[in-house]
Amino acid sequence: MHEASREYSAKAERLLSARGRLGVVNAAGNGSTMPSSQELSQLIEAVASRHDREAFAALFRHFGPRLKTFFMRGGMSAGIAEDLVQETMLSVWRKASYFDRSRAGAATWVFTVARNLRIDHLRRQRNPADLPADPEETPPSIEDAFLDAERDVRVRRALTGLTPEQQTIIRLSYYSEKSQTEIASDLGIPLGTVKSRVRLAMNRLRILLEDET
Amino acid sequence: MTINHHLRDESLLRYAAGTLAAAPAIVAKAHLATCPACRARVAEYEAVGGALLEAMEPTAMSPSALADVLSRIDAAPSAPMAEHAREPAEIEGVPLPDALRGCEIGRWRWIGPGMKMSRVGVPHDRDANLILLKVGPGRALPDHGHVGTEFTYIVKGSYTDALGQFRPGDVAEVDDDTEHQPIVDADEECICLAALEGKMRFNGFIGRMLQPIFGI
Repeated sequence: MHEASREYSAKAERLLSARGRLGVVNAAGNGSTMPSSQELSQLIEAVASRHDREAFAALFRHFGPRLKTFFMRGGMSAGIAEDLVQETMLSVWRKASYFDRSRAGAATWVFTVARNLRIDHLRRQRNPADLPADPEETPPSIEDAFLDAERDVRVRRALTGLTPEQQTIIRLSYYSEKSQTEIASDLGIPLGTVKSRVRLAMNRLRILLEDET
Repeated sequence: MTINHHLRDESLLRYAAGTLAAAPAIVAKAHLATCPACRARVAEYEAVGGALLEAMEPTAMSPSALADVLSRIDAAPSAPMAEHAREPAEIEGVPLPDALRGCEIGRWRWIGPGMKMSRVGVPHDRDANLILLKVGPGRALPDHGHVGTEFTYIVKGSYTDALGQFRPGDVAEVDDDTEHQPIVDADEECICLAALEGKMRFNGFIGRMLQPIFGI
């Protein structure tokens, strides 16, 4: 990577974390500062290398309330969301040694853990008699060594380049397991429009991500 | 393995988001194992998920939540071991993608001249519409349209349709209302793994024979 773009990424990261701090102050009103992506990575590594409970508590304080919102946006009740947050954080503790900051940022890794647990949860709901799915059977996490953690910064920047409408359709694709037909009826627009919006949003995101490389 | 036919961005996003149904997710996983380009995109879409998580407004957890998790950690510090020793997937000696490990794979059943099928049982989703098809050289795959998208991964051999030639590792995503007619290439039989989001409607004689198998 060129020196210039590395510098730009670092600048973007500072800007993003500054914005994040403001967001946390506003939302939680307790004035606590938001850890940077690097600090979060260090916390996960501390859990992995020395079972550091303080580090785990800090991760819990940061990700717990966000994960709860994430699950609730997917249509879960506060109680179920809270259970899944606990499951997710338990997995974060147990799987911390699999975290590799050169492959994924801390939030991305926690997202994949939460996503896999949500898949298991929804499947158990549909097939109550089944045993919990083997976690290894859910989609693989980031495994490719050629990928790098810079991606997180690029992706965050790319997302801000989407229109609000496009951001909405992408968010809907992440939070809920609703089909495009259900999303169409929720938004009161034809299925064809949902399809073309997703396609346009994905193309736009694709272009923004490619511009970044 | 040169990959010429990939998953669509929308499907890669849904895979990364965890919202792709079980059967198409298995087909996608089979393709991802062979395709670094699609894996890179999935990693990007996972990072989108990470960015969205980071941007979430916090919702207060119950006061005892952290203590509850810590006491669960004390009770069982490491996860119960997953059964890693699962047999590699195969059907009558032909190796199948690792994405099928843990699935129930029966014997080939005759469904028409030069055509056999095996329904794949997905342990975590009994309703998943996932099949293996084996079609002889030069023969047409069952003539069908379908409701929802059909995902097909080529395990062995090759076929050609209006979209081009599909070889092992390639994946085809065909939308509803598309009547497509893949013809297996002349040199060898073709085995593919097919998943449906919606229901399939078959045309023609073999199609009508297949309908009851899919319970339509």
